[in-house]
Amino acid sequence: MSTTAPAPDFLINGRGTSADLGAWVVSLAFGRDGRGLFAGLGDGTVRIAQPGAEWRVVEAHDGAVLSLCADAKEGALSGGDDGRLIRVPFEGTAEEVARYGSKWIEHVAAHETGLRACAVGKAVHVLDAKGAALKSLAHPSTVGGVAFDGKGKRVAASHYNGASLWFVGAKEDKPRVLEWKGSHHAITLSPDGTHVVTAMQEASLHGWRLADGQHMRMSGYPAKTHSLSFTARGKWLATSGAEAVVLWPFFGGGPMGKAPTELAGGDGVICTRVACHPQHEMVAAGFEDGLVLLTDIGSGRVLPIAPPGGGGISALVWNANGTLLAFGTEEGRCGIVDLSKR
Amino acid sequence: MVQNPSDPVPVTVLTGYLGAGKTTLLNRILTENHGKKYAVVINEFGELGVDNDLVVDADEEVFEMNNGCICCTVRGDLIRILSGLMKRRDRFDGIIVETTGLADPAPVAQTFFVDEDVKRATKLDSIVTVVDAKHLAARLDDSKEAEEQIAFADLLILNKMDLVSEEEAQAVERRIRAINPYAEIRRATKSDVPVNEVLGRDSFSLERILDREPEFLSGEDEHEHDSEINSVSFEVSRPIDPEKFNSWMSDLLAAKGQDLLRTKGILAYPGDDRRFAFQAVHMIADGDFIGPWKEDDERRSKIVFIGRDLNRPVLRRGFEACQVPA
Repeated sequence: MSTTAPAPDFLINGRGTSADLGAWVVSLAFGRDGRGLFAGLGDGTVRIAQPGAEWRVVEAHDGAVLSLCADAKEGALSGGDDGRLIRVPFEGTAEEVARYGSKWIEHVAAHETGLRACAVGKAVHVLDAKGAALKSLAHPSTVGGVAFDGKGKRVAASHYNGASLWFVGAKEDKPRVLEWKGSHHAITLSPDGTHVVTAMQEASLHGWRLADGQHMRMSGYPAKTHSLSFTARGKWLATSGAEAVVLWPFFGGGPMGKAPTELAGGDGVICTRVACHPQHEMVAAGFEDGLVLLTDIGSGRVLPIAPPGGGGISALVWNANGTLLAFGTEEGRCGIVDLSKR
Repeated sequence: MVQNPSDPVPVTVLTGYLGAGKTTLLNRILTENHGKKYAVVINEFGELGVDNDLVVDADEEVFEMNNGCICCTVRGDLIRILSGLMKRRDRFDGIIVETTGLADPAPVAQTFFVDEDVKRATKLDSIVTVVDAKHLAARLDDSKEAEEQIAFADLLILNKMDLVSEEEAQAVERRIRAINPYAEIRRATKSDVPVNEVLGRDSFSLERILDREPEFLSGEDEHEHDSEINSVSFEVSRPIDPEKFNSWMSDLLAAKGQDLLRTKGILAYPGDDRRFAFQAVHMIADGDFIGPWKEDDERRSKIVFIGRDLNRPVLRRGFEACQVPA
């Protein structure tokens, strides 16, 4: 080869660190108190990264970690295929919060008010800050995803033929059922709590405007969407599942009748994870080949974060103030990039 | 030997009517020392007397795909379970999926064709059906599922041979052959089939099935019972025009897919040294090139249909018309 384009300058090289954790990175979360990056792995451990120190290993599950999120105050909450809901503090060992027999815990969610939720088969269990069971919400089929709204007042669960929206504080548990034929998995609520969006088995999205029950169908994906992320003020919904970052406009009457914006495409590689910046209109995206990049929604400019290699991106997350971006791959590579001002 | 994490994980689907001996077979697979580890997806936890962290409880949730095709069903729970197991794929060599006795095998098989994530990470190794030699005839008379489980099988384990005479066994085999002449039949007592003959067969990939010319096809046994499900197969000598074949097949599956349980073919395309393997479960079709034709092989294309109300002359004329002009 004589002349090639200069290799893009990936930020991981100057501003990041990466490690081989040796097992599938199922999910990543930064502690809400700003301490630690928690990585839930396919080998059942949770690894904790802390500045200037080695990764700490916490034995959490006998099997695989299937789900992990930042816990209400600090540390992480993880669900495993051993039927246990585990709290992993920044310091110390794993604590069992609840145990659900032989069933898998495929989804967990927590809210800063102290609420926790986990999906076990057809049930969503809601627990308080101390781990006491508040309620068990039943669904017609296995739950495909769980999310709290921004205020922690409602919890939404996706399932076959739609989604159910529950008031956590209700005396009598009766869900608002959002119906749409087919199997729904990933679910999210817009930051202002006015829209619910799910990803479907048929490689499309479905949404409901809660004010009037208006349906939104967002289709055209070549692969299933696994990752949904609203921008901080809910203007855009970033999604995985296409050979670009697909963004649906939730303003000006959209997304109904509006075409999505596609960013950072062109390589013919499927985007597997998206994570919107917690303040700015920027979205980080991870691809099937291991590439990670950051793109500015307004200008479409792309900032390369990590080069391809080391497995498809399986997890991608920002810390609360948007200075650190972490990614993980199916082959166990995990990187953290510092984007703070220098 | 744990397999290379980038290879698709082989999945064996184990079907069979209640009491046929599936659990006995599963217990043997999990306890015998064969040097391999299997993750097992079962329906009733505790039914297996084995403590194993790779045993997963399934709910058998059959989902219709939202594409207007009513026979296009998948197992939603299986999609989730397989993707969960992939997160620790270095722990096992293969996966076994047990279905309940009353289950239609189609949604399980279709899951491996329809779901992209499942397709990427796994491959359907074979469908193994355990049948009770003593009671099969009665089951076939009163259950549509028992017949479908036989129609879908790549390997049939004719179990409880100690309870029947040789004549009875032969009668049962004829009954099975009338439905599915392409599956291999293994006789067994207490499911005592060597584990390596059940797992890792790679038979869903067709080559083995179609390479074994079913000698019994010529017999009159086919008509001995009026089975609702039966099979037909055709062979042609001129190469197949892929466009004609695809157009014929998509029309056929759209019109008759509900009655066509399994369709399998090995096709010779003009000017291509590779064999094209085609298969469908009901309306869902898939195909890929497999190894090259052997030097001295006659490049004859073959197709097999297993299903209900098969119109032999119409299917034959349709297949013959896919050949390139002489």
